[in-house]
Amino acid sequence: MIEVESLSMSFGTRRALEAISFQVPAGSVTGFLGPNGAGKTTTLRVLTTWLLPDPGTVTLVVDGVDLLRQPQQACRRIGSVPELAPMPSELRVVEYLQFRARLKGISHSKISTELQRVLEEVDASEVLRRRIGTLSQGYRQRVSLADALIGNPPVLLLDEPTRGLDPRQVTHFRQLVDRLRGDHTILLSSHVLGEVEQICDRICMISEGRVCLEEDRGAWTERLATAGSIRLEVAGVVESIEKELATIAGVREVMADGSGWLIRSDTDVRQQIGTMARQKGWTLLELRRDPATLESLFLQLTVSGVAS
Amino acid sequence: MSRVISLTRRDLLGLFVSPVAWVIIFVFLLVMGLTFHLSLLGVDGDLRQLVAATYGGLVFWFMMLVIPPLVAMRALAEERRLGSLEMLMTTGVSDAAVVIAKWLATWVFFLFLWICLLPLWALLSTVGQVDLGALFSAHLGVALVGAGFCSTGILASAVTSHPLASAALAIALNMGLFLIHWLRFLYQPGDLQLRWIDHFSAVHHLGDELTRGIFDLRIPVWWGTFTILMLFVTTKVLERRRW
Repeated sequence: MIEVESLSMSFGTRRALEAISFQVPAGSVTGFLGPNGAGKTTTLRVLTTWLLPDPGTVTLVVDGVDLLRQPQQACRRIGSVPELAPMPSELRVVEYLQFRARLKGISHSKISTELQRVLEEVDASEVLRRRIGTLSQGYRQRVSLADALIGNPPVLLLDEPTRGLDPRQVTHFRQLVDRLRGDHTILLSSHVLGEVEQICDRICMISEGRVCLEEDRGAWTERLATAGSIRLEVAGVVESIEKELATIAGVREVMADGSGWLIRSDTDVRQQIGTMARQKGWTLLELRRDPATLESLFLQLTVSGVAS
Repeated sequence: MSRVISLTRRDLLGLFVSPVAWVIIFVFLLVMGLTFHLSLLGVDGDLRQLVAATYGGLVFWFMMLVIPPLVAMRALAEERRLGSLEMLMTTGVSDAAVVIAKWLATWVFFLFLWICLLPLWALLSTVGQVDLGALFSAHLGVALVGAGFCSTGILASAVTSHPLASAALAIALNMGLFLIHWLRFLYQPGDLQLRWIDHFSAVHHLGDELTRGIFDLRIPVWWGTFTILMLFVTTKVLERRRW
């Protein structure tokens, strides 16, 4: 489990994080979303102990270890894949991973078994003897992921882990995360919202250094269901249709949309609109519900910066 | 400890695959080989004088002052610039272990350069009598003063992200330790001041004593303390710059 409470971080006079608080429940996969510059990478760097937060940060606990008091013990419980993982191009994959395993305290006798395990996990056993400098971006990313898995750390921090992967590798990555789910607590920073929607149990969205949404799958699915819009198009010119539609219970907003109207409501009001159309004698050309997507929610929240 | 050894091995390997290191090895062997040859001509066959002549001249000091900063310049500066320092230091390795490993790799590489000169002395000893005591203490001096100069190189590498700036800073620091010796010629220092100047003077320790076979325990204590102090400061700089 990861617990963050009132985490603030400044670079000189610029505040990168404004007392953010969130939790990643044990065994869950949490998507960490936000536009560029929102503070995602800074948060991950604090969690890997690379950056020290501002004084006043209340809680930073990773798998039961206080990160502020015991940073070395905490980072031994974390496997991280940085956004751009620099690796020595002159080394072979096996040499690099052996070096990383030794740094992580894996005993000499267990190193080769451990490397075999992590490389099989990320489907990169075939590049064991290849030099890192000759690997494609996709393989480099997988080697970086294998590095994060060395020692089977309970917490994984993944910063854009599918960057540079082809669609087959992305599918494989999703399967890998599915296998790791439950045994590992995963915080996954990504811009690929479809990916987050598919694999995450929970999302935490930040914008301008503040958390603007933190919900589990059930809550955000419900939010999307109610945050959708209904598109209505009727034949001919109907006077005062907007005023008529606004009288329906639950309707929040009616906007002209080209030849028709977009209706935002708290509930699905298509039936009421259909009844009204019959009563008023409107000829319906279109009555369609467009469900909201994580992308539209992301755009809405990260522009306004405040969860409704 | 095993982490320090792993890091040192990795850094040494990194040094030996870097073209800069091979340029340093080539230039060093060329210049010191020439110096050895000229010194041999200069002592007019008196091999007992050869150690002091080879390990005391300006070329020798130039190598001592410049080589450690050039070897150490990439140690932390380059790692920070490339972002690999972050990956290294978020594995649970302590800052002190990283600093010691970087210094150790630099120092071992520096010693390797001087060891490469030993065959010249071995060859010479087959045709004449080399002062082995002076040769041994001169190499001990090179190792001790080199340890100190390597530590200033590592400190400079922790201060900046630019390897060349790091090398320039370390050369300036080493030059300070070298030039202290000549303070005595700028004014007339008293006995106490003269003793202090000698304490801090690399030239006094290595050039005036060790190359002549004079071993004083205060010399390893002084350079050992200096090296540890520099490495301690480097650890603090690294902690501060990181956090």
